[in-house]
Amino acid sequence: MFNFVLKRLAIAIPTILILIVLSFMLMFAAPGGPFNSERPLPPQVLANLEARYGLDQPYWKQMSDYVVNVVTRFDFGPSFQYRDRTVTDVIMQGFPVTLTYGFWSFVVAVIVGVSLGVVAAIKHNTWLDYVAVGISVGAQVLPNFVMAPILVLVFTLWLGWLPGGGWQGGQWQYLILPVIALSTSYMASIARITRSSMLEVLNAGFIRTARAKGLPTWRIILGHALKPAMLPVLSYLGPAFVLMITGSVVIDVYFSTGGIGQFFVNSAFSRDYAVIMGITILVGVLTILFNLVVDVLYAWIDPKIRY
Amino acid sequence: MTLKTLLKASSAFVLLSAAAANAQATHPETGETLAEVQTFTYRVLDEHSSVDPQVVEDVTGSDIVRDLFEGLMNQNAAGELVPGVATGFEMSEDGLNYTFTLRDNARWSNGDPVLASDFVYAWKRAVDPELASEYAWFMELMSIENAAAIIAGEMDKEELGVAAPDDSTFVVTLSQPLPYFAQMTTHSTTFPVHPATVEEFGSEWTRPENIVSNGAYVLREHVPQERLVRVRNENYWDNENTIIDEVTSLVINDVNQSLTRYLAGELDRTETPPGQFPRLAQEYPDQAVSIPRLCSYYYNFNLSEGGPEALQDVRVRQALSLAVNRDVIVNNVLASGQTAAYNFTPVRTADFELPDIPAASMSQEERNAMAVELITEAGYGIGGEPLSIELLYNTDEAHRNVAVAMSQMWQQTLGIQTTLANQEWQTFLQTRGNQNFEMARGAWCGDYNEASTFLDLVTTNSGYNDAKYSNAEVDQLMADAKTAEDPQPNYTRVEQIIAEEMPIIPIYHYADGYMFNPELKGWPVDNVEQNWYSRELYKVAGE
Repeated sequence: MFNFVLKRLAIAIPTILILIVLSFMLMFAAPGGPFNSERPLPPQVLANLEARYGLDQPYWKQMSDYVVNVVTRFDFGPSFQYRDRTVTDVIMQGFPVTLTYGFWSFVVAVIVGVSLGVVAAIKHNTWLDYVAVGISVGAQVLPNFVMAPILVLVFTLWLGWLPGGGWQGGQWQYLILPVIALSTSYMASIARITRSSMLEVLNAGFIRTARAKGLPTWRIILGHALKPAMLPVLSYLGPAFVLMITGSVVIDVYFSTGGIGQFFVNSAFSRDYAVIMGITILVGVLTILFNLVVDVLYAWIDPKIRY
Repeated sequence: MTLKTLLKASSAFVLLSAAAANAQATHPETGETLAEVQTFTYRVLDEHSSVDPQVVEDVTGSDIVRDLFEGLMNQNAAGELVPGVATGFEMSEDGLNYTFTLRDNARWSNGDPVLASDFVYAWKRAVDPELASEYAWFMELMSIENAAAIIAGEMDKEELGVAAPDDSTFVVTLSQPLPYFAQMTTHSTTFPVHPATVEEFGSEWTRPENIVSNGAYVLREHVPQERLVRVRNENYWDNENTIIDEVTSLVINDVNQSLTRYLAGELDRTETPPGQFPRLAQEYPDQAVSIPRLCSYYYNFNLSEGGPEALQDVRVRQALSLAVNRDVIVNNVLASGQTAAYNFTPVRTADFELPDIPAASMSQEERNAMAVELITEAGYGIGGEPLSIELLYNTDEAHRNVAVAMSQMWQQTLGIQTTLANQEWQTFLQTRGNQNFEMARGAWCGDYNEASTFLDLVTTNSGYNDAKYSNAEVDQLMADAKTAEDPQPNYTRVEQIIAEEMPIIPIYHYADGYMFNPELKGWPVDNVEQNWYSRELYKVAGE
């Protein structure tokens, strides 16, 4: 196991380097630049700006300087768009926000999703099953960009219970709507995966044996069925978790949370190369990390899996 | 005292003191009763670029900078020049020297006096290649002596034509007379900065914990992409006349979401979503306001060598322009107070007289008839050689609607086929800048309130002349206008030439639809540049 983790971490380094090179190539291939605007800058002003940010260097030099700075000094450079901030500032400010609402959305999605799935599987083909499936299908077809405005309309404008956006350092009132909007579709997927996998496990031989032993149903479910039924759910949860904590543009845009998703999209539109790279690397590293965590959990859940 | 009487007594006290506070709080000029809580919260579309006066480059940021800093001169509600840090200025006879006298009670938020040398420092900073301000071009436009050479790196920034002979005198030397120079000192790029703070904190000096400013407000909190809060500056020289205590700008990208939050009472001001202004104006007549802007919306013809052959024919360009029913576009497609444009410079521009342009006074039937005549003469259109034109615009719902309307009008009136092409902003800028288009959308907002900010665009060497139009007479007229005592005849002539040769099709002059909290007063609706100052706003008590 230890060797496996080490090996995976070793593979991660070239993976991230390839990610950097590819992102750089795509960035430079996109037309325009960080200092293009409706009002083209006088050539001399543009030259001063490019010199200031090192954009007058050849591509390979910009790329290698970048990698050296990141590796040796953990320096992701200054943002081109926001002059008084570095990329590290942008990430340090936006990531905790996204991490907070992403984490709670994950918790809600897993708890509600798994519960719905398990109930639906146990009460297969009863009204409870239909209700659970109905909820999850409904949640699945309501994307968050539809959910978000509806939630604000109902809870902010009509009922006046919750603020329609903002973050205020993550006070609970500001968390509720983003968490609901972000978690629903994940919850729906989790419920569906749990249900089908649970159904399969419940028909397995060892469950029949457990039933024959006369074990109570709740012990069969919690003690024997749930763990193996979670395998497919788990492989879904790894990437889903990364997606949730690295920010949903829709949530950031509708709820003005100041999360990292909004910075990511804005930086792409304004060609803020440094911020694009910084967030790409962050997402890349987190993806690699959580895929590894999922693989390790696999081995724990399923004794058949050995590394 | 029982609990009940205590409650009664205390509530009576509360009522009395509230009444007392209310009795005092009336507006000094209008006498209106002021609301107890004086806050102003408004929506901004996007995070501002910076609050550093010499670095800021967007409207959102400039609005904030005008609250935090104060320049030599300000604008009043009508957009006229009024004293700021300077009590006034004198111009030398040759128009090359301006001497500003600074008020002696202007203070930085840390209590330091605002000195003439602070302006000298800030102006040199604006042209410093090391800072590489995107607005350095503005200093060049102001014709300050040596600005261009300093920006080009050919001269030291110390050579800039600014001086502070004493603490309260700021002298500017220009390279050529500029009639609207004083107007330009209301622009944020010319605002002072506190040298010691900038030197100490470098690029981080604008953070709330570091910043020292001289405006009516100081920066209290800034959460990027979420909110920015500014509060009253106790050291501001005119603090006693400031009524709003706290100003908050909230970043809300989605305008529909912003409207919902406005209606829920979270905001005092928001833009209205496209197409919704007529409904809102009907439903909330006391809140929906359309504010004209100093901006023009137009389409460029590609007149460069690579441009389509048909468009080199002035009759085709005329016909295309005539066949656009502007009234339908402003009243039905956009419908938030825009005005139809038959010339380039917005009519509200200061001192600008609308030139006599024949098309403007015709009916649409007459324009259409003339358009058909011209296109037939040119050999295109119905019965002629088939013509297909590609309209390029940047991806946006409103731009698409205008383009669709135009293409239908051309199809119906002239029998001309149109294809629509939209591109993401940066891609669009590059395509348009390289003349890889047939017709491309353009929009221009005045940098200052004078017609040349628009008409310079059609001069041959303008960096913004995407049509690549070139006319020696226009170039000469605009060059002469710079030093003319009365440039208006030149502007009139240039507008007439544009109308005759039609390098661009003016479509409409901008107006933006807003919702304003009915309790919020003092908004400078008539300031065409929309240079507003929070210190002039106030909230009246609701009924």
